[in-house]
Amino acid sequence: MKCIFRTTIVLLSTSMIMLVCGCDLLPENNMIEEITPIIFWSVQGGGEEDGKITISTLVPPLIKEKKRVLSLKVSLLNEGNKGFNLTYYNELKAGQIRLLFVDEAYAKRGLTRLINTVLTDPNISQRLYLVITKGNFNEFLAKHLGETDNIDYYLYRMFKHYEKKKQGEITVVNLHQFMKMLYSQVSDPQLPVFRAEGEQFLYEGTAFFDRDSMVTEIRGKDDQIIQLLYRDRFVRYLVLPDLAVTLGHIRARTRKKLTPDLSSLSIEIDVKGRIDELNSLARIEDNFQYAALTRKIERYLEENVIRLLSQMQKLQIDPLQIGELTAKPFSKPITRATWDRHWSTMKINVKVRLHLEPLTKVK
Amino acid sequence: MTTISIEALKQRLALMEDAEVIVRETADGLRLTFIYLGSLIDQERLNESILEPLVRSFQNSVEKSLTTAKISSLSNLEQAFQYLMKGSVLIHDSSSGRWNAIMLPNSLGRSIETSETETIMFGPKDSFSELLEQNILLIRRRLPLTALKTERFSVGSLTQTTVVLMYIDGLINPEFVEVAKSKLSSIDFDMFLDSSHVAAFMEDHYHSIFPQYLQTDRPDSCAYALGIGKLVILVNNTPFALIAPITLFHLFQSPEDYINRWLVASFLRPLRYLSFLLSITLIPLYVALTTHHYQMLPLQILYVIIESRSKLPLSPFWEALIILVTLEIIKEASLRMPTKTSQNLGVIGGIVIGQAAVAAGFASKVLIVLAGISAISTFLVPNYLVTKSSLLLQFMFLILASYLGVPGILLGLVGMLAHLNGLTSLNQPYLAPVSPFYWRDWVDLFVRGPLHAMRNRPEALRPLNKYRMNRRSK
Repeated sequence: MKCIFRTTIVLLSTSMIMLVCGCDLLPENNMIEEITPIIFWSVQGGGEEDGKITISTLVPPLIKEKKRVLSLKVSLLNEGNKGFNLTYYNELKAGQIRLLFVDEAYAKRGLTRLINTVLTDPNISQRLYLVITKGNFNEFLAKHLGETDNIDYYLYRMFKHYEKKKQGEITVVNLHQFMKMLYSQVSDPQLPVFRAEGEQFLYEGTAFFDRDSMVTEIRGKDDQIIQLLYRDRFVRYLVLPDLAVTLGHIRARTRKKLTPDLSSLSIEIDVKGRIDELNSLARIEDNFQYAALTRKIERYLEENVIRLLSQMQKLQIDPLQIGELTAKPFSKPITRATWDRHWSTMKINVKVRLHLEPLTKVK
Repeated sequence: MTTISIEALKQRLALMEDAEVIVRETADGLRLTFIYLGSLIDQERLNESILEPLVRSFQNSVEKSLTTAKISSLSNLEQAFQYLMKGSVLIHDSSSGRWNAIMLPNSLGRSIETSETETIMFGPKDSFSELLEQNILLIRRRLPLTALKTERFSVGSLTQTTVVLMYIDGLINPEFVEVAKSKLSSIDFDMFLDSSHVAAFMEDHYHSIFPQYLQTDRPDSCAYALGIGKLVILVNNTPFALIAPITLFHLFQSPEDYINRWLVASFLRPLRYLSFLLSITLIPLYVALTTHHYQMLPLQILYVIIESRSKLPLSPFWEALIILVTLEIIKEASLRMPTKTSQNLGVIGGIVIGQAAVAAGFASKVLIVLAGISAISTFLVPNYLVTKSSLLLQFMFLILASYLGVPGILLGLVGMLAHLNGLTSLNQPYLAPVSPFYWRDWVDLFVRGPLHAMRNRPEALRPLNKYRMNRRSK
């Protein structure tokens, strides 16, 4: 009797542990040398009459062999995944996908279907960087097929680098963040935009979305200024060619405040940084000229922030997640329609305070 | 009971080349027969302390002639043989017909040397030898107390091995002594050539791969154990004493922990636990990740492993198994080989494992690195028996990992924890002070706190005298 009881306990606990661990009794073959864990998918098209998309990837990833681009025209994302397996000698596994490149044209039509497919795949991690591409991405890949040319891996490392510690040089958004913004009642997502041009893969700016569809993008100076509006950011350089000034090592602290009736928004930005480059005749050793330059930069930033926010208001999009400020404890969150109504007519006041660090090396 | 007679003794001692029967007559005309085993006794002492004084004596009895020697009177033949075989000289007085025995054991043995199994950089270097009395002396020198009791037992129908139970009376929990005494008394086996044989018969769970008695040849470790309320069992003819009751955590403690600065010791101790965990799970984890969970590997490492495994004919499990078995063969060979040739073994082993296996495509470079780390990790655990046990655990985890992946390893760890929780040493829980929980004892558990903080003896041992410091002086 004791033996039966003990056996029952052991079997019960074993099965419970296995279930808790999500252990499958018939595990799939994931032996590392028999599979090819790919790093990215690139999705293009979607505008054709048959609604088909082109999905591409680079194989073999990582190992020092000559690469080739696999490209298939399919209706569903996983159809492409299956198709890849049939055209390549190893089974392609999606469990290590770290990048999802989406063509601009596809992004303009809406990303929900794609995101949901990727999101619901239990193998795919949510730490997956989403990127909007312009130009011919496959052509760019075709130029990086050398044995030592691990372009997929280097692109992943680039995004990982800029994501860490919020470097602020480029916009980096992973699947989880995108999903959070997409399914939020009041916010809209944003993604980085890159242009594939020959061998180059150039950062262009940030794409703004209205729900799941890309509506606009900002570039260069605007992209840098928008970086300042996130809560705590570090921006290495803020190049302001109009003022012939480059600010460096900027730490911006932004406080956004909504009035209770949602009629106006006030934004206070404390920008700490130093003048890295000055290409004008302003003599900053002179206190009056220094103050004038500071004031000029502040004004310039204020105007540009207001201009950018007005653009967002016109498009009724909220990539800065200002709508999140309406959330209060013990109160019902406001609806999208209510927020859009208030947001489009909201009065915006921006106050920039520039705290320039003294140039210690200059006397 | 058979009465003692010279004929009966001679009959039993027939064909024993070292058995001596000599007859001497004293100055007083007393005829004495001496019977002894020449190999067991100290011949010089026999001549100087017994034969010479007796032959010159004018007394009419052995007791009166030898005033210094401890003389035991014998009553039956079995008793006579017991004395004889333990190194006594039997003396028969023909006038009175009485039989006496004088212990003259040959004290030939190793001198006190440095411990080879538990080496430390600083601290006392002496270690036990095969001589029981010498071992008791080494402990008594450290604990000059009348409360330090030594109780003798004899175990083994063939070996008649003397076992000494040591404890500090009035400090140790009497329950331990009672349990140990009853266990020692109930031992029934023929041969006890080492203390591990005694431990095997005293252990509560002899199927377990975890030792429930700590074997040590360091007298300072024994003295410390006695001082905190444990008992020590010394076995004749072996330099290894047994300490009980112990917990799993005692197996990770080294005497050097109490010699190092407490911060250094506190850093080293978790390192040992970590290395034990590494030694049993590192290679299984490699097998689990490369067989089932490629998603869990960081891309950078995945890159290295794919490159390293791309041209191997064996699956990760067989690759790991072959490397581990080969490693064990080399480790075992290095123990058995003469010291002078072991250097060659190192070179051959290093080349075979490190270079040729990779070049021949039997193993990946990553696995060789992991096998190296894993093998080195095992040596960090001070207890040699645990080092050996970790090998079996590693194989168990390897099989679990190859079938079930990481959940298999977790399953194994849960199983191991459940097993450890069920173990006892001298009926005391093996995972104390973690389970059952004794917060105060944590000062000397995963870290080694400063000696000033160790005011109390371990609560888990429930000593009669709890305090290590004089409470009034504080």
